[in-house]
Amino acid sequence: MRAPFRIIFEQRSETPRYLSGFVPLVSVLAALLAGAIFLMATGYSVSETYSNMLQDGFFSSRGLTDTLGLSTVLICMGISAAFAFQMNLYNIGGEGQGYLGMIGGAWAGLALGPHLPSVVMIPALLLIGAAAGAAWIFIPAFVRARLGTSEIVTTLLLTYIGASLVNHFIYTPNSYFRAPDVVFPMGRTVADSAKLTAIGSTRMYPTFFLVVVLAVFLYWVVKRTEFGYRIQVIADSPRAAQYAGMNARRTTMQVMLISGALAGFGGATLIVGEFGKLDPGITMLGYGYAGIVIAALARNNFAAIIVSGILFSGLRVGGDKLQITTDTPIHIGVMLQGAILLFALGGEAFRRYKIRAVRMQAVTQ
Amino acid sequence: MKKFWKLAATAAAASLIVAACGGSDSASDTTSAPAAKTDLKVAVVYIGTTEDKGWSYQHEQGILQLEQELGLEVKRVENIKDDATSEATFEQLAADGYQLIFATSFGYGTPMARVATKNPEACMQWATGAKFLLTKAGGGEYADFDALPTNMGTYFGAAEEARYLSGIAAGKATKNGKIGYVAAFPIPEVLRGINAFTLGARSVNPEATVQVTWTKTWFDPTLEKQASESLLDAGVDVLGMHQDTTAPGVAAQAKGAKWVGYNSDAAEAAPEAWLTAPTWNWGPFYVKTAKAVAAGTCPTDEAYGTMADGMVTLGSFGKSVAADTQSMIEEKKAAIIDGSFAPFTGPINKQDGSAWLKAGEKAELGFLLGDMTFFVEGVVGSAKG
Repeated sequence: MRAPFRIIFEQRSETPRYLSGFVPLVSVLAALLAGAIFLMATGYSVSETYSNMLQDGFFSSRGLTDTLGLSTVLICMGISAAFAFQMNLYNIGGEGQGYLGMIGGAWAGLALGPHLPSVVMIPALLLIGAAAGAAWIFIPAFVRARLGTSEIVTTLLLTYIGASLVNHFIYTPNSYFRAPDVVFPMGRTVADSAKLTAIGSTRMYPTFFLVVVLAVFLYWVVKRTEFGYRIQVIADSPRAAQYAGMNARRTTMQVMLISGALAGFGGATLIVGEFGKLDPGITMLGYGYAGIVIAALARNNFAAIIVSGILFSGLRVGGDKLQITTDTPIHIGVMLQGAILLFALGGEAFRRYKIRAVRMQAVTQ
Repeated sequence: MKKFWKLAATAAAASLIVAACGGSDSASDTTSAPAAKTDLKVAVVYIGTTEDKGWSYQHEQGILQLEQELGLEVKRVENIKDDATSEATFEQLAADGYQLIFATSFGYGTPMARVATKNPEACMQWATGAKFLLTKAGGGEYADFDALPTNMGTYFGAAEEARYLSGIAAGKATKNGKIGYVAAFPIPEVLRGINAFTLGARSVNPEATVQVTWTKTWFDPTLEKQASESLLDAGVDVLGMHQDTTAPGVAAQAKGAKWVGYNSDAAEAAPEAWLTAPTWNWGPFYVKTAKAVAAGTCPTDEAYGTMADGMVTLGSFGKSVAADTQSMIEEKKAAIIDGSFAPFTGPINKQDGSAWLKAGEKAELGFLLGDMTFFVEGVVGSAKG
């Protein structure tokens, strides 16, 4: 039997303004609705689950500060991804560049920490982490700029090598990064001068404000500087840029290196923050991959990334705590987190395409 | 919240009085008022899920016993990564008024200690932990032992005792004298197990060797299977393991080899291959600790359980384990329990043939825990990983 209708997607030449705000809102509501059906079917209270998730993620002082604390690294990964994406450079290896930032930051904290006061040490550590992240994307950037090699493949593969490097530094006997004479392979805590103290009794570090300022600064760079203008022109039309005498190769290198540096910076914030040491656990957390989603949700808008980063973070914090504050098992929280993200990203289709149902005969003629 | 604390305080006071009247542990077991106990809020944090049929599953069995004996409901928190991010979990639990929190993975130590310092009213217990590792000298954050939180204890046990016994079963089962061992990380805990297992095997089969393969993971069914197959291809006919899953058992059974498991009594995973396994029995520790906390004291020592106190046990025997082998193992087990025998008793040579322990000399516990960084004679492979 043939369906009498066919669904067709028509690309919109221009997205109507009202859809930009409307679609994400409806997407999240649809996700909550789908989650509610699931909760009811499995016998958990919808209102209790949702109110707890919101409260633990946003509307309690602990929830909010936990969310802002986690969002620090997530926003960093988001702006890292978006900085490359805006020029159609798909750096999906922010994850690996983040590992390198952590390695570089841990090295700085261990090697330089004992000799430097905090005011010098903290910025130095963050910059060394950023440099390590940039170094990790150098080869993908170079071969992309010179030979046009797909950066999607190279940055992703280097992420696995980065993970192996982290493991190597922790599991190798007598490694510089490893705590000495202990029974279990784990990182050595950096010097006190290389660690920030959390704000009050929260788990949020001052790096949050630094990262927010960084995102706003990048917003300004992209919208208001010649460099930002060049990125937009090359992204929109490489040929037009060529005619205008813009050096696309050099800009590709610059943009990718900055993207890598931002991810490395994110990794280094974990060293001055809650980790305080190189920890192989980082390879399980997926902050860099989350950054891709955060950038996509914000459509590569740096100011919007602050918002999407905080929302994503709150979703994770609230969802993770759900099993503590309610009787739901861990799977419910994970399922709701996934559903909301999937719907939010899926909603993009409605923004970009006009979706119509057409009578079959009309198309098959 | 206020009301809760009033209740909890009353309950704690009541149980203190009961405990004081009881005088000894065994007496308080029978005289404590159940009402006082049920008010205790207990939580346990798992790195995986309670259905893993290995490490977390075995802890869950202990938690179930705790629930049953004390008539309370324990809050389970599953799938929590054991790195710095776990701090949020412990903090939430402390904020929600949980008075006793068990953390069942090594990496929870530092985050748990941070939360313990901030919440002196909560009692924290860290499985597989060691306080030394929280101090600066051990790579941690605290200046020294005196700076550590005073409401945190650790617990683990002498699996090496059961490893030795399971080694006897392996030594008897091998036909060609070649035993394999799928091992996670080259750290003292694992090396201790391999060495005890090898000593057990060679006590009944002096020519037997134990070939070790490292996976560098606790939990990875695919890698565990591959490592097992590479050993089986190299000709071993019995497999031992220090891993979280039953994948080595399944691999052994497929090749007609025998298998010594770990963590839980998982004979049903590979019934043909199953010999036995060193297993954990966390229940008595959980019950004892909860009772102590209900009575107002947080145990802060570094508990190290044994076969004698029942924390370490030996699993059931597979059908291929002969009756005389079983009775031989039971005999050794009795000797371990009454203290007349310890697995690490000389003469024992190191892997290269040099002497480690002289005849009759026993290894010190401290040495076994922190300094066992080598293999004994009979192990094939590198102790460096």
